[in-house]
Amino acid sequence: MSLEEPRPTDVGETADGELDYDALEALLGETAIDREEHVNAPAFVVRPDEVQEALEALREQAGFDYLSCVTAQEYADRYESIYHLKKYDDPTQEVGVVVPTPTDEPVSQTGEPVYRTADWHEREAYDLVGVEYEGHPDLRRILLPETWQGHPLGRDYDPEKPQVVPFREHANPLEEDARVETGEADTMFINVGPHHPATHGVLHVKTVLDGEQIVDVEPDIGYLHRCEEQMCQQGTYRHQIMPYPDRWDYVSAGILNEWAYARAAEDMADIDVPDYAQVIRTMSAELCRIASHMLALGTFCLDVFGDFTATFQYAFRDREVVQNILEDLTGQRLMFNYLRLGGVAWGLPEPREEFFEKTRDFLDDLPEKMKEYHNLVTSNEIFQVRCVDTGELPPAVAKQYGATGPVARGSGVDIDLRRDDPYGYYDELDWDVVTEDGCDNYSRVLVRLREVEESAKIIEQCVDLLAEWPEEERTIQSNVPRTLKPDPDTEIYRGVEAAKGELGIYMRSDGTDKPARFKIRSPCFCNLHTLREMTQGEYIPDLIASLGSLDIVLGEVDR
Amino acid sequence: MLQTAPLPDTIADLLGIGGTLGAVVGGLVGAALIGTLMLTMTAVAGPWAKRKITAAFTDRYAVNRVGPAGLLIIAADAVRLLSKELIVPEGVDRPAWDIAPLLLAWSALLGFAVIPMGNGIHLADPEIGLVYVFAVASIASLALVMAGYGSNNKYSMLGGLRAVAQNLAYEIPLVLIAASVVLFSGSLQMSEIVAAQAEPLASVAGVTVPSWYAFVNPFAFALFMIANLMEVGRNPFDIPEAPTEIVAGYQTEYSSVYFVLIYLGEFIHIFLGGAIIATLFLGGPAGPVLPGILWFIAKIWAVFLFTQWARSALPRLRIDQLIQVGWKGMLVLSLANLLLTAVIVGVIA
Repeated sequence: MSLEEPRPTDVGETADGELDYDALEALLGETAIDREEHVNAPAFVVRPDEVQEALEALREQAGFDYLSCVTAQEYADRYESIYHLKKYDDPTQEVGVVVPTPTDEPVSQTGEPVYRTADWHEREAYDLVGVEYEGHPDLRRILLPETWQGHPLGRDYDPEKPQVVPFREHANPLEEDARVETGEADTMFINVGPHHPATHGVLHVKTVLDGEQIVDVEPDIGYLHRCEEQMCQQGTYRHQIMPYPDRWDYVSAGILNEWAYARAAEDMADIDVPDYAQVIRTMSAELCRIASHMLALGTFCLDVFGDFTATFQYAFRDREVVQNILEDLTGQRLMFNYLRLGGVAWGLPEPREEFFEKTRDFLDDLPEKMKEYHNLVTSNEIFQVRCVDTGELPPAVAKQYGATGPVARGSGVDIDLRRDDPYGYYDELDWDVVTEDGCDNYSRVLVRLREVEESAKIIEQCVDLLAEWPEEERTIQSNVPRTLKPDPDTEIYRGVEAAKGELGIYMRSDGTDKPARFKIRSPCFCNLHTLREMTQGEYIPDLIASLGSLDIVLGEVDR
Repeated sequence: MLQTAPLPDTIADLLGIGGTLGAVVGGLVGAALIGTLMLTMTAVAGPWAKRKITAAFTDRYAVNRVGPAGLLIIAADAVRLLSKELIVPEGVDRPAWDIAPLLLAWSALLGFAVIPMGNGIHLADPEIGLVYVFAVASIASLALVMAGYGSNNKYSMLGGLRAVAQNLAYEIPLVLIAASVVLFSGSLQMSEIVAAQAEPLASVAGVTVPSWYAFVNPFAFALFMIANLMEVGRNPFDIPEAPTEIVAGYQTEYSSVYFVLIYLGEFIHIFLGGAIIATLFLGGPAGPVLPGILWFIAKIWAVFLFTQWARSALPRLRIDQLIQVGWKGMLVLSLANLLLTAVIVGVIA
């Protein structure tokens, strides 16, 4: 007998865990003025001044506690914002909320009071597309400079127009060098970054200090914005987009990113992937995850130990082995470009036995190395004093901010798309989702270390499967048309579990061979948003440690 | 009163100058010799040995292209560092900012004046030798504050303030532990402290164990090693610099020669820490077969190696945690150590 109260059944959820969209439509009542069919889930069209009402109802009564992404786009006759909603308990239960706004007055009610994570998403939508959100607490540009003119993903944007702005009109980072009176104590403003040893790239954290303690932080991003979405919109589905994902999370998570695009495009165009290719994908993706987590561990130790730590080099030494295996497989060490729609670029390297042996050797050595990390890092008393109970992120807050991946799992939020929304070969394999309940920096590190072990389990099973796969069935590529032209107005939002969390892709086709809108939901972007919650009242070293524990890659934050 | 010590006398005798003039010339030449020895050790340690040691801890090779085993990197680095532009940031507090690097290097060098290094290499031997060492070594804290405050940089200021907080937290335990050694030796004079450790403590299987205070009171030795790590600012106590947190702390704005001086000062400080430990706990220059000066240098390098080891292996504490360790841990333990030693020495005597 369970002492827990039975969970109140969410509106629209049927007994077998499916969604009844008619019930949802009934719940929304007058608010829903229309219904659209997207490939991933139906979406309800909502008037721009009733956004909060609709989101509130879906969140409170239908249990959609996870705002995965906000996509904005401009049509010939209107602007449109799409809120992609999911549930943390079951991410396959999805629904969209579409908010059309007129071209001459693209003003829509903000969703920020309902989902905290909408803050940054809506700022990005405003910045790049030009939709304005009424009631938004802080509607500024987020990726582009404050002085930018026009909205680059809008239809009438003129890329030829020079964006020449006098130096004096740019925000001067030293200008705010004034003491902010908080009433109780004097505070000091300090710029952590964009050039700082511990920001893991070009990140600028505007920090207000009271002595050594953090009063407020505000991450300032966009230094590495490379128009990835727009570049993808200019590439053809079949071949030209696949190289880009490697460049989002560029620290060796390449194949995980490629899979996000591959999954979305394959679902959109209804392409099958042969099982053999799925196993190879699963194996290579998990290798990437190990490489990525090793890097996360190494750089985190750099932040907590100091810049002469041995752990950093140890992590790189072990990551190097993974990189060599991936190089044998894909021919590349960083920008793999290995996945293809409907399969992979080529099969396993010959001789196959040598490749299997190399991979197995790595897996055999791994437990010993993990023991070393636990000796050196996680069981060190000073490390524990530094990391336990610092940078706390309670599960409710993590959900509000749309945190995913090890950051969410370190807060005890049990979500992993590999298990919850299976793709590839994951549901055929035996492995576990790792969660820790500490909600602190320590838990996040522990989750990553334990995930390496789980990934190793997956790789081992994949290697066994591949080794015994009958020779005549080793198909690495299904038949895919030379030119892909999905039906006009097909829309899809699909995510995969990348190294940092849910990496989602939204695509809309207009009948041509290139996507009309390509939107990337970056896990680092959402995870970084939680930094403020984690660090207020903590010390400077904890800010650095929390930043490290988020494991952000600026290439993916800024895209 | 300065007491005559072997080295200036020897030099004066060699030069054939007697009286006051002889003492002055001998002292100056001796100081130059010892200073050169320490600077040479620093030159070897900074650009080369430190890199090699860290590399050994972290599975790398480090410098190996310039000269045999990369040794000529010392010359290359010297040229490189001295030829760099000295950038003076806007708004620095000029005299203080300029004096700080000099003061840092100088305060550490001064300490070596009273350290007996064996083979008659001993510049001065005042009765209050130990107090003198701690006094001049503490001047470094002043230099750190000057550097931090004078740099007109917020990171530097945070570093400078951290340095003060850290100094207050470790300096008292450091002196208290040293006082427990003084209780054993009955003298503050460095030569007396060394002489007191020469007596045999016990004989195990034909090997005579000298009464080094590291053997007599290992607890005080361990405490002093930790306090010394705080003094020289190495992991887990490299908080005033904390390169991944506050960029480089008080030395953020220094470049070129000033940077070299600060670095020099840090390394000499580590060596001075090693020299104090060798003198107080490891019998000074005592050791079999080899001449005393070599043993002494070996002991200093052993302590240096220990700091590098700690740096490669240990995480850094947070500043508030360091203050806790200093005031609630080290101070209490060192007081207990002092009281216990006093009782034991009192009973034995």
